[in-house]
Amino acid sequence: MKNVIRGIFFVLFIFLFFTTAVKASDINVSAAASLREVITTLSANYSKIHPDVSFKNNFAASGALAKQIENGAPADIFFSANVEWMNHLKDKGLLDKKNITTLAYNTLVFVGKPNPNIKAMQDIVMFEKIAIGSPKSVPAGQYATEAIKKAGIEKQIAGKLVMAKDVRECLMYADRGEVNGAFVYRTDAEQLAKNVKILFSVPQEYCPRVTYPVALTVVGSKKAEAESFYKYLQSSEAKEIILKYGFMVK
Amino acid sequence: MPEFSHSDYLAILLSLKISLVATFISLPLGFTVAYLMTFKRFKGKVALDVLVNLPLTLPPVVIGYLLLLMLGQNGWLGKWVLQPLGIKLIFTWKAAVIATAVVGFPLMVRSIRTNMEMIDRRLIQVSRTLGASRFDGIFTIIIPLSLRGIIAGSILMFARGLGEFGATIIVAGNIPGVTQTIPLAIYEYVSSPKGDSLAMALCSVSIAISVIVLVFYEWFGRKMIKRK
Repeated sequence: MKNVIRGIFFVLFIFLFFTTAVKASDINVSAAASLREVITTLSANYSKIHPDVSFKNNFAASGALAKQIENGAPADIFFSANVEWMNHLKDKGLLDKKNITTLAYNTLVFVGKPNPNIKAMQDIVMFEKIAIGSPKSVPAGQYATEAIKKAGIEKQIAGKLVMAKDVRECLMYADRGEVNGAFVYRTDAEQLAKNVKILFSVPQEYCPRVTYPVALTVVGSKKAEAESFYKYLQSSEAKEIILKYGFMVK
Repeated sequence: MPEFSHSDYLAILLSLKISLVATFISLPLGFTVAYLMTFKRFKGKVALDVLVNLPLTLPPVVIGYLLLLMLGQNGWLGKWVLQPLGIKLIFTWKAAVIATAVVGFPLMVRSIRTNMEMIDRRLIQVSRTLGASRFDGIFTIIIPLSLRGIIAGSILMFARGLGEFGATIIVAGNIPGVTQTIPLAIYEYVSSPKGDSLAMALCSVSIAISVIVLVFYEWFGRKMIKRK
């Protein structure tokens, strides 16, 4: 019995102290959920050219990421799906002001089961349940709430909005048929939707252009690898990949 | 002091309502299961015991996901039973009640059962020899003597229900004013860079309610001991 207990403690000790040490060339990426595939590809490609660099990619709602970074989570590069959360971190002095740029653009769309009667914002009032990202932290939800307000249908769809934790969860709700439709980005719908289709794009008068800014954090600006990856993001090779995933770069 | 929005107040009311309804609908079933487990012998008793207690150890997310697969638009119960009847559960407050009931159920059963096991079985046997029917026995002996466990179990389950998060967010979604309970509202504020003060305020409400419920539970327990 004594030996068993001793054994257990030994194993615990191993788990605690012999975990792999963080390499100096780790790049911590915090990126908006809608960028999951494209960032995964970009970082994998970069690792191919620079085999000594490895990535730790963290995907979530941009607002949630901003809050994590604000509270000291390790992040060298931050990709946001709107300008608001980028500015939020900038104002707190957590970003390297010289290294903030725009990575890509996207469009907000409404997805649902194919339905010829749904062509514009005003048509969705007939639905029972609509998924949007929680506007408190999910940019796709912030864009959607703004569009709903501008289209003047806020009152009609109050109590019908299911708040998702990020834009991908939104799409999942719609795809599984638990809601009638969802506000997501064009790239999400085109790449990942199985059972739902884009019913309409949210017109520009209701929704500003979806913009993805990217920045080096103050911590990241001190890492040569992070800075080099930041530069790589602006290369023509990276742009090609971004375009391939359906984003716009201009 | 930050200002609560209308939907925050609704979240507080909704938490209480969902937990209360879940506790009440679980009472008859919880009593029946505890009764069977204590006084009856039957095949599959161990299986039933494990099944009832499973939610105690399973991550609530698993329960939520299984409920979603079962009750959802494409789930077997959802597609073949609920849809033809025109019942929609997913993303309504009723789904939150079901999730809360499943998660809190083992607490109620355990509490009732512990009390039932202390009942002197000879009392029941004597009542039968004196001509009381089985139901008479339940209502005049078992229920009064296990009342303490029934009430304590209900309070425990109610308290557990107030904190239900994992299963609820999956089956009931997060609809402000409709299915958003206190934990869900806190979760939303916590992931927002601008939500700290409101998250804290809702946390205080949550702590206050829990303290009241637990103090009541303790007070009730002591009162019952004294009475004996």
